[in-house]
Amino acid sequence: MTSAATGTGLAKAEFEKIREYFYRRTGIQFADSKRYFVDKRIEHCVRAAGFDTFAAWFGALRTGDRPGLLPELISQLTVNETYFLREDYQFDALLNSVLPRVLAARGGPDRIAGPVKILSLPCASGEEPYSIALRLLEEWPHIDTVDVEIHGADIDGEVLERARHASYGERSLQRVPAPWLARHFSPVGAGRYQIDDGIREALTLRQVNVCDTAAMRSFRDFDVVFCRNVLIYFDDLSSRRAAENLYGAMRPGAYLFLGHSESMSRISPIFTPTRLPEGIVYQRPTGAKR
Amino acid sequence: MPEPPAVSADDLIRQLDDADPEARRVAALGLEGVAGAVEPLLDRVGAEEQPAVRDAMLTTLAGHDTDRVAAGLAVHLASEDAGLRTAAAEALAAMPVSVPALVPRLLEDPDHDVRMLCARVLADLPHPEALTWLAVMIKDDPHPNVVASAIDALLPSLGPEHAELLQRAVRRFPDDPFLRFTVEAALR
Repeated sequence: MTSAATGTGLAKAEFEKIREYFYRRTGIQFADSKRYFVDKRIEHCVRAAGFDTFAAWFGALRTGDRPGLLPELISQLTVNETYFLREDYQFDALLNSVLPRVLAARGGPDRIAGPVKILSLPCASGEEPYSIALRLLEEWPHIDTVDVEIHGADIDGEVLERARHASYGERSLQRVPAPWLARHFSPVGAGRYQIDDGIREALTLRQVNVCDTAAMRSFRDFDVVFCRNVLIYFDDLSSRRAAENLYGAMRPGAYLFLGHSESMSRISPIFTPTRLPEGIVYQRPTGAKR
Repeated sequence: MPEPPAVSADDLIRQLDDADPEARRVAALGLEGVAGAVEPLLDRVGAEEQPAVRDAMLTTLAGHDTDRVAAGLAVHLASEDAGLRTAAAEALAAMPVSVPALVPRLLEDPDHDVRMLCARVLADLPHPEALTWLAVMIKDDPHPNVVASAIDALLPSLGPEHAELLQRAVRRFPDDPFLRFTVEAALR
């Protein structure tokens, strides 16, 4: 048995192999500091797939002998841990600062043509786009008169299925106020709640890799994009590609939210940082030139 | 959302000359991985006036990470256009395969602005020799601004073992208050 199967972590050469492979498949590269995280997740993948050795599992992964191995690997190595209303100050910014500016730029709430489009990418198991929907439903005065489309996208098909099902446990829902829970969720047993059909059906979900330029071409004209806590895991080139693809998905003047520990200035100069009372967001410039 | 129809590489190369900047930007990104697009992109990147288009070209070029691309972008480190030379440095920093071979020449470039940008490239270049090259710049470069840039680039990796290197740099330029300040801040 190799180290991965015996629970003692990957050998250095094994770590390098899987890091290189994962980078080539997804554009996501793990720093040496993520070694422990990667070791644990790979160990899980090897065991869960019934392999005795890392070499056997990796061989099957590379040759495509077992089609389920790659999605499981992506699922394990991408960040799916999230909860409703996480980093809520950014939703405050959306409601109080960004949407008023979006409406003003598009002719005002009574004259706007077409929907306000919001993208959550990666949306993981749906907590973020549903949090946006809840905040809008509960707190945005124009929700009954302005058409809003919320889209979620993620590289991981398994979490997208969870987003479609939209059933959440106590840990995910800990920050949801009780009256909102009562109004928009139904208990489904075992302490879990499912978000109402009307909200679930209003969310458009798609599988996409943000680094895949061709696939991202179909994302267009978003007014607001949430892309939080993912670019930080990419290497320079992949994060540049992701930034370019997000830029292409946004209207001129549209707003991009990154995670609180992320900064676009380290990635690409194509966005304009804009200081709002609630924090920094990034805008696709409105003019032809920056 | 339906997928837009696929466009051939030849069409995308032609689209690099479109009057619409967004069409040029989309074309540049769409040429990712197309070896035949390297020369058309290198031909245009220096003259492209729209920063967003230029950055898309640079992202696609950086993805090739070949000696030809590295050499073609390095010439822009000496550009009169500050935006272009900075953008070229950022692209080169994302090319760990081909840029290392260029570094010895960049370290000897007679233009100290180019050497300063070289420090900036090395700050972000994921390569095991990057810190060694920065140390060489701090130890040997004849221009105090280059030395200060190299110290700045080395900052995230600075350790006690660098103290003597930095103090020696101050002794080499005793009349440069900015360098002295940089070193004092770095050692604090």
